[in-house]
Amino acid sequence: MKRYLLVAAFVVLGAALVAGQGKTIKVFFYSPELTDQYNEMAKEYQAETGNTLDITVNQPDYRTLLAAKFNSGDIPDVFMSSAYSDNVNYQDYVYDLTNEDFVKQLEPTALLGVTVNGHITGYPFLVQSHSFIYNKQVFADAGITTLPRTVGEYDAVARKLQAKGIQPFATGYKEWWVLPQTAWQVLAPIKDSFGGDYANFVDKLNSGALKFKDIKEMSTVFDVLDLIKKYGGPKPMESDFNDQCSLLATGKAGMIHQGNWAEDSILKTNPSAMIGFLPGPVGNSAAKAGIMFDSNQTIRIAKDGANRQAALDWLRWLTTSPYGKAWIPDKIKQMSPIIGAKAPAAQLAQATAGMLKAKVPSYPWYYQRFPAGTEQALGIILQGYCAGQTTREQTLDALDASYTKIMNASK
Amino acid sequence: MTPGRRRARRARWLEFLWMTAPAVIVILLFVEIPFVMSVTYSFTKWNGLNRAVRFIGLANYKELLTNDPSFVSAMIFTLLFAVLTVAAINVFALLLAVILDMKIRGKNVLRAAFYIPNIISLIVIGYVWRFIFSRGFDSLGSLTHLGIFQLSWLGDTHLTFVSVVLVSVWQSIGFYMVIYIAGLQTVPRELVEAAVIDGTRPVSRFFRVTLPLIMPSVTVAVFYSVSNALKTFDVIFSLTFGGPGTATTSIALDIYKTAFSDDRFGYGSAKSVILFLLILVVTVTQLNAFKRREVQA
Repeated sequence: MKRYLLVAAFVVLGAALVAGQGKTIKVFFYSPELTDQYNEMAKEYQAETGNTLDITVNQPDYRTLLAAKFNSGDIPDVFMSSAYSDNVNYQDYVYDLTNEDFVKQLEPTALLGVTVNGHITGYPFLVQSHSFIYNKQVFADAGITTLPRTVGEYDAVARKLQAKGIQPFATGYKEWWVLPQTAWQVLAPIKDSFGGDYANFVDKLNSGALKFKDIKEMSTVFDVLDLIKKYGGPKPMESDFNDQCSLLATGKAGMIHQGNWAEDSILKTNPSAMIGFLPGPVGNSAAKAGIMFDSNQTIRIAKDGANRQAALDWLRWLTTSPYGKAWIPDKIKQMSPIIGAKAPAAQLAQATAGMLKAKVPSYPWYYQRFPAGTEQALGIILQGYCAGQTTREQTLDALDASYTKIMNASK
Repeated sequence: MTPGRRRARRARWLEFLWMTAPAVIVILLFVEIPFVMSVTYSFTKWNGLNRAVRFIGLANYKELLTNDPSFVSAMIFTLLFAVLTVAAINVFALLLAVILDMKIRGKNVLRAAFYIPNIISLIVIGYVWRFIFSRGFDSLGSLTHLGIFQLSWLGDTHLTFVSVVLVSVWQSIGFYMVIYIAGLQTVPRELVEAAVIDGTRPVSRFFRVTLPLIMPSVTVAVFYSVSNALKTFDVIFSLTFGGPGTATTSIALDIYKTAFSDDRFGYGSAKSVILFLLILVVTVTQLNAFKRREVQA
């Protein structure tokens, strides 16, 4: 009996020693496609510092679960959210990073989306871009040499691909988050009518002075959605992100509207796929066709987290240590917001860099300024339009009604 | 009443109280208190996140009843869905029960086969059927060239309704079949035999003798299927997420979206109170109507 007690005592002591070696930082992230990279980074961090990152990853119900965690007091030390309107959304919970030394190592443009009244409310995680992605081999085989820039040119390319027996577009219309990305990219040049300032545009929408039904460019948005549906295969409403990636990778489809996060899935299906970005059409003006480029995914430190200091130390390590600096370009293969970070060896990141260099217009993800909750609500309304549930007029009215409702609720 | 009898009564009461206490406490903690809280939240404006909760009286209910097309369309969908699934589930479950209550070979295997969908998580069932409707039907379509497989079962706004009903019926039929089999086994053999001797034909024997005797089972099965249909959530959540657009959004899913995606917790609570009242009225009416038709053997 005594011996058992002794063994038990040793086990408890051992466990306490192991636990005492470092702090365990509770992390709650999304983007499950990066799970391997998250875990590898956590392993490296533990090896270097002895501190453990306890990472939970979830995608579809992330916001719901996060709200439940906050309400039940099970606050993660580190969590994720969008930039812009989420700055205000989580204001009761985030720690102000303004005076931390490591934020000075970040690109000032990447910090714009997380800055509220001069306070830095979060840590920009990745710099991402979205637009139409095309399969270079498919385009070459179909003899398409000039890349499309206007709605008419996209239509012509689609007809050419279809004549070759290739599905021109693979839609993501089954997902509620793909549609708004496509739609709001078409609307991106709207800032020119508002003094080049998206804040001004969104303020007008928020105050009700501007309605979607009064925006004449919305007809181009519908034209583009119709075009994708028309050339989007036999079941355009059932196609989701995975279908988009696999059809493009295997050359069964020529184009998809997606972001650089799709590259990993595309290359998993076909490692030799050659892909690139196309400037997204915004109407008849070829000069305004561009790419949506921003840092939106944001890492936030909880104000009331039990290990706040340890979490801050981890962010410093991520920004300044050799492994941390190389993690995003080398392992995640996307663009890093850290000043002087190297360019990732990824086709879409390089395509983005090439387009920026060639002065193709780049637009920020201004729609993230819309009140929180509108992304899904408006996405579902656009999905209803694409499925033929509502006409253009009804869709515009529904967009306005939903936007006003959510706006009033957030006041 | 003598003091002795009063004391005996009180002792019995105390005994009753402490015997039921564990169940009462658990139900209070996990059902009643959250219910009261959600009724309280229905009078507030709260985004589910901020620490500030503001009392706004009946404003949520006013908006709900006068200015919410999405709730109205969810209500219409849910009622249609309930009528169809309740009818289909009960008719087919009863039919299956009658067949599997006969002396046929392999009936235990068949009973298990029909019951199995019921023990699989509804979310998993939704994903499995999503796969069947998209990939499975694609392959079948290219093999057989039958038009039925080339339809967009999850993409067409009208056809998705059918898909959702089909999967819901398929999933729950086993459970109701078991209720009906249990009911059929309580029917006294001598009554059936007497009817046989009287020369009744099988069909009229079923409607005149068996069905009246299993009315208690019918009451229970219809009650469960009605309240489950009005609360339907899981299958739709994983099969269509209410889409395309709002074509298959049930009241429960609309509540979920209001509370967790639109960030309107107070308003979502108001919707759930209305759903609760709806279920209460419908099921109480149904129970009363059916109870009156039950007979004793």
